[in-house]
Amino acid sequence: MEAKTNDHLQTLREMRSRAVLGGGRKRIEQQHARGKFTARERLALLLDEGTFQEFGALATHQVNEFGLDRQRYPGDGIVTGFGKVSGRRVAVFAQDFTVLGGSFSEVQAQKISRIQDLAIESGIPIIGLNDSGGARIQEGVRSLAAYGEVFVRNVMASGVIPQISLILGPCAGGAVYSPALTDFVVMAGDSTMFLTGPDVIKAVTGEQVTAQTLGGADVHTGRSGVAHLAAPTELAGLALVKRLLSYLPQNNNEDPPQIRPEDPPGRMDDALNALIPNDENQPYDMRDAITAIFDADGFLEIQPAFAANAVVGFVRLDGYPIGVVANQPAFMSGALNIDASDKIARFIRTCDAYNLPIVTFVDCPGFLPGVDQEYAGVIRHGAKIIYAYCEATVPKISIVTRKAMGGAYVAMSSKQMRTDLAFAWPTAQIAVMGAEPAVRLLYRDEVAGASDPAARTRELVAEYREKFFNPYRAADVGQIDEVIEPRETRPRLVRALEVLRTKVQQNPPKKHGLSPT
Amino acid sequence: MENLAWGLQMTVLGMGLVFALLALLWGLLRLVLWLDRPAAETVPAETAPPEPAAAAAATAGTGDAGMDAELVAAILVATMTHRAVRRREAAPVMRSYWPGSLLYASRWVGAGRSRQHRAWLGRGR
Repeated sequence: MEAKTNDHLQTLREMRSRAVLGGGRKRIEQQHARGKFTARERLALLLDEGTFQEFGALATHQVNEFGLDRQRYPGDGIVTGFGKVSGRRVAVFAQDFTVLGGSFSEVQAQKISRIQDLAIESGIPIIGLNDSGGARIQEGVRSLAAYGEVFVRNVMASGVIPQISLILGPCAGGAVYSPALTDFVVMAGDSTMFLTGPDVIKAVTGEQVTAQTLGGADVHTGRSGVAHLAAPTELAGLALVKRLLSYLPQNNNEDPPQIRPEDPPGRMDDALNALIPNDENQPYDMRDAITAIFDADGFLEIQPAFAANAVVGFVRLDGYPIGVVANQPAFMSGALNIDASDKIARFIRTCDAYNLPIVTFVDCPGFLPGVDQEYAGVIRHGAKIIYAYCEATVPKISIVTRKAMGGAYVAMSSKQMRTDLAFAWPTAQIAVMGAEPAVRLLYRDEVAGASDPAARTRELVAEYREKFFNPYRAADVGQIDEVIEPRETRPRLVRALEVLRTKVQQNPPKKHGLSPT
Repeated sequence: MENLAWGLQMTVLGMGLVFALLALLWGLLRLVLWLDRPAAETVPAETAPPEPAAAAAATAGTGDAGMDAELVAAILVATMTHRAVRRREAAPVMRSYWPGSLLYASRWVGAGRSRQHRAWLGRGR
């Protein structure tokens, strides 16, 4: 009896050993030769030691066509399970490139779907490590149907549990939509993402392009905005995912983790009082303000290379994670364009979904004028920001640091758009439009009739500026709650958020809103 | 009377023996301590006091644990870096409370979030 049990155990152990080897030692060596880790090595680096619990390690495909009957590997090219990241429960899946190039199969979809279901039901984040050549062509339509299974769960989990995709290799064709449906996409090393590869593009359009220039990390973090963060190596990518997760809650019902604050809440940085240049057309880096105000070493900028005229990211204030949105005067004077609108709107909705308060720094001369922008629909893209701010129910605080002009002032978390507190620095200029165009419109006849139109224009501009280019007129009419010294910003925010931490606001019941697209 | 004298004699003899043994033991311990004393450092009579810089270097050169100053600095930097990484990742030792825990959330927030996430039900349902 005991001998028979031992036989069973021996069989199980042998099968598990095979599963651990993935596509075999030779494939593992090839993976290492490319400077890449295997799926299990990646999970070992991501998860706390000894916390990984695997499911479906012995699952294999049932396809016999195209010689696949001779290529059955336990696990079928994906490792799924639960584990812990910095002590927090997470669900994970990692595609194993050593097994049939990590190709996406029906069994893979079943395993991913299973872990997605368990993650949604348990209310824990899910992290996907993508490294796959695409759909398993030998499986035919089965592998295509499998994508749908994963996509529907991506959408069901959206805004419920944090979903993070780490791209560690090729990610092509329909496979790109699963990461695109998740909350954050991080690209590491030489990973690539594209719908149609260089060969197909060459055949269809005649354009010649390499995989990296078509869908590398630089492209997707800088131009397309598909990816949120990039890391030079796999190791750095895994560390980045851990850091990103530290700002997010387990699910949409819970609060993000607070860490013990080490930066005094009442700290005032005198350098902030000198941050805004005397010349109003001179740029400054808004990130200097962000790093000086919030907890030291706590700023994680999201999409830093995409639409650099806007800055979004996670910070900590008195140990609490917060989302920060800002215009960047150092790039395009901080004007809003299509990409910046998309970037800001998406980030606001992410913060709102995961109960992160939003602090907005405004220095925006307006929306970027231009035929291209209008033709490309800057109206509907700009409307996304307004929609996102109006819809958000988390605590919202705005600080006007310098320019807040026209529609951009309204769009950037203005008081009337359910912003809880609106502060302004004494350098704020809150007006409908710039002084020169305002004078041209308001005093056209007077200037035309003047003996010296240029001198009269200068006088009127100076008069307009004195009257409107300050925060006090806005404070008079209640559009600004308080004009504060820049150095006071940190303690002011700490106190304000201390009060607003328990803010609860409910939107009218609806199936879902119709956000501009 | 005879018994009393015998008793006194035995008392003096017994106590004397005990004290004699104690004295012997004390002597032995003193001897052991004397033999085990640290060797006296030989200080040259004409040695000049060390320069302050040299003294500082000597102090910095080896710590209490006999470690090299560079090793101590390396360990310090590694510890600080590790701590910073753990802090950035909000590791358990850095947290105020368990991530996402509603243990300290008020009923107001708990009930409010429930209302926010309540599915819409049509009239009469």
